[in-house]
Amino acid sequence: MLKLHLKSLPAVLGASLLCVVVARAQSATPAPDNGSLDVEQLFAGTCGFCHSDGGRAAGRGPQLMNSQRDNEFLHNRIKIGKQGAMPAFGESFSDAQIDQIVKYIRALKPREG
Amino acid sequence: MKKRWCKFGLPLVAGATLIASSAWAQAVDTARIEAGGQNDWLTYHGSYKSYHYSPLSQINTGNVSNLGVAWIHIPGRSTRGLQSMPLAADGVLYYTGSYSRTFALNGATGEVIWSYFPELDEALVARQTHSPYNRGAALGEGKVYVGTMDGHLIALDMKTGKVMWDTKLIDSQKLTVGFTGAPLYAKGTVVIGSQGGEWPGRGPIFGVDATTGKKKWEFLTVAGTDEAVKTWGNDSWRTGGGGGWMPGTYDAENNTVLWGTANPAPLYDWSGADYKTQGARPGDNLYTTSVIALDIDTGKLKSYHQELPHDAWDFDSAVGEFVMLDRDGQKYVVHPNKSGYIFVYDRNLGVKNVWRITQNSNFVKDIDPKTGELIGRRDFSAGKVSEPLCPHISGGVSWNAGSYNPKTGLYYKLGQEWCMTLEVQKTTPIVAPQAQLNIGADFKIAPPPSGEIYGHLDARDPITGAKKWEVRFPEPPLGSVLSTGGNLVFVPDSRGTVHAYDADSGAELWSHGDGTGHQGGIISYSVNGKQYVAVVAGFGGMASDDYAPTFGGVYKSMPRDDGALIVYSLK
Repeated sequence: MLKLHLKSLPAVLGASLLCVVVARAQSATPAPDNGSLDVEQLFAGTCGFCHSDGGRAAGRGPQLMNSQRDNEFLHNRIKIGKQGAMPAFGESFSDAQIDQIVKYIRALKPREG
Repeated sequence: MKKRWCKFGLPLVAGATLIASSAWAQAVDTARIEAGGQNDWLTYHGSYKSYHYSPLSQINTGNVSNLGVAWIHIPGRSTRGLQSMPLAADGVLYYTGSYSRTFALNGATGEVIWSYFPELDEALVARQTHSPYNRGAALGEGKVYVGTMDGHLIALDMKTGKVMWDTKLIDSQKLTVGFTGAPLYAKGTVVIGSQGGEWPGRGPIFGVDATTGKKKWEFLTVAGTDEAVKTWGNDSWRTGGGGGWMPGTYDAENNTVLWGTANPAPLYDWSGADYKTQGARPGDNLYTTSVIALDIDTGKLKSYHQELPHDAWDFDSAVGEFVMLDRDGQKYVVHPNKSGYIFVYDRNLGVKNVWRITQNSNFVKDIDPKTGELIGRRDFSAGKVSEPLCPHISGGVSWNAGSYNPKTGLYYKLGQEWCMTLEVQKTTPIVAPQAQLNIGADFKIAPPPSGEIYGHLDARDPITGAKKWEVRFPEPPLGSVLSTGGNLVFVPDSRGTVHAYDADSGAELWSHGDGTGHQGGIISYSVNGKQYVAVVAGFGGMASDDYAPTFGGVYKSMPRDDGALIVYSLK
């Protein structure tokens, strides 16, 4: 199980994710804030639909664990997307939040057991 | 109302004159669709009976070996392939591509009569996950109706492609979802259901006046009645998902629209066995994963059956087939659930039988064929699920349609054999619509316990499920099936080959490569006495995106942004 620091974040941070997302939903051009993300939950909610096993395996989208892409590529792909393959999340997450997602991807390890 | 301009909407007079002898001889109306004419394909499911059957027999078991390509049309910008069901009326073929590009073509030559490319909110489309494919149009009252990813329903003049009206039905900026499914036209009303499922929303289905474009009614598949609100604990109905993203059909005798609804969100719940009181969405979650009968004039719910109460597996009821059968004085409706269980109802959606098309299934031990009650359901708790879940999230059957042939009395339907590993996550409750999905688990495709992943075409009795023959495929075909009066069954497969089988025996009589995988519709129609078979080719999207990493081979180089309409006739 991936730990990072995210598991131990206080509940208020989970709530801040909610606020971020709600804010996005209410405006066509939202201004992403810098609230922390529970990236593991984000994968279980959204990213994992294509990046199988929480990003550990190829599926509808590529395997992210041990990706050969550099951080800048990953950041831009999350932010801008790729037509017909990867949604653009630049209106949902700030650059700092996308960096958190990249950090999660870099820390991915095979599941134990 | 947003103004949209048809970039290429002017009629090409030369093309139009070619078919002047037969064109638009008679308006497409409810009675004509009900009758399901010999030469045409007037609605998504062929007719309101939803047979996906053409009575044409010029192409038959004796001469199908002479079938060849008559013409091809390239729609362009086929992001995530082509997934639509073509339509044909009075010698004109109508079809849609990604981004709701809509075409009217001379059915004999492929010459473009008109085309219409709606100006979409591209920034919104770029944010969407289940986008930008389109699964078809509807015809009626001299118009072609098509939905868009940014929440509009548009009516085009059948002769010219000119926009007659354009109605925004969904705030897609807020809800992210739009329309990918084809509308249904009947009795002066255009019915279209929104995407939903894994998006936190309430999954509306709309009835729109075909003449004016004015919204007549809206039915919310999540908690659409006071009774239904009580089946969603902790106010989870506010973000329950649902939707009805494939067209159902019209039952004239009961003045109802029959529609299948999508799954609740999150897809996977951590409730365990106490799903009535615990978890992300405590309760049965009406009217998700249900078949519903709505009054076509008012949108009022008249009857329903929830195929999977508290669907915890994303095996929804969004498949649009409602096969209307008469047997021994009884009237039946056959509806496939995504799980691979096929439900047989009376016309009031009372359960008459349930049978299963898949070999590999373990989300329940069984479904009671007399009552439809789930027996031995697997409700997961948070954490790793020990035994893989079968079928895979792509289902025991696709959203594409099977075919019923009234001459053989057999229902030709594709089944899919695959499973998935799963780790359910206890996620933060979502209390308002949001721009992201709400899945609730990490998962990965896996082979079934019996061996390799595969797909199969079954010829079965639609009421009892008794199997007459089966043809197997190394990878599950994802497209629709067509059967004809020529005693043929056509299957466009995932590798890109169209197969024709003898409808009685399943013997393969003909095949042809279309150059890329299929995941959309196939129809037959006739122009000036000549029969054609039209099929869309073009791969990509939620189910097919798993094929390259899972199967390799031809899928590794198969494009996911390309497609073509290929039309066959006898040489």
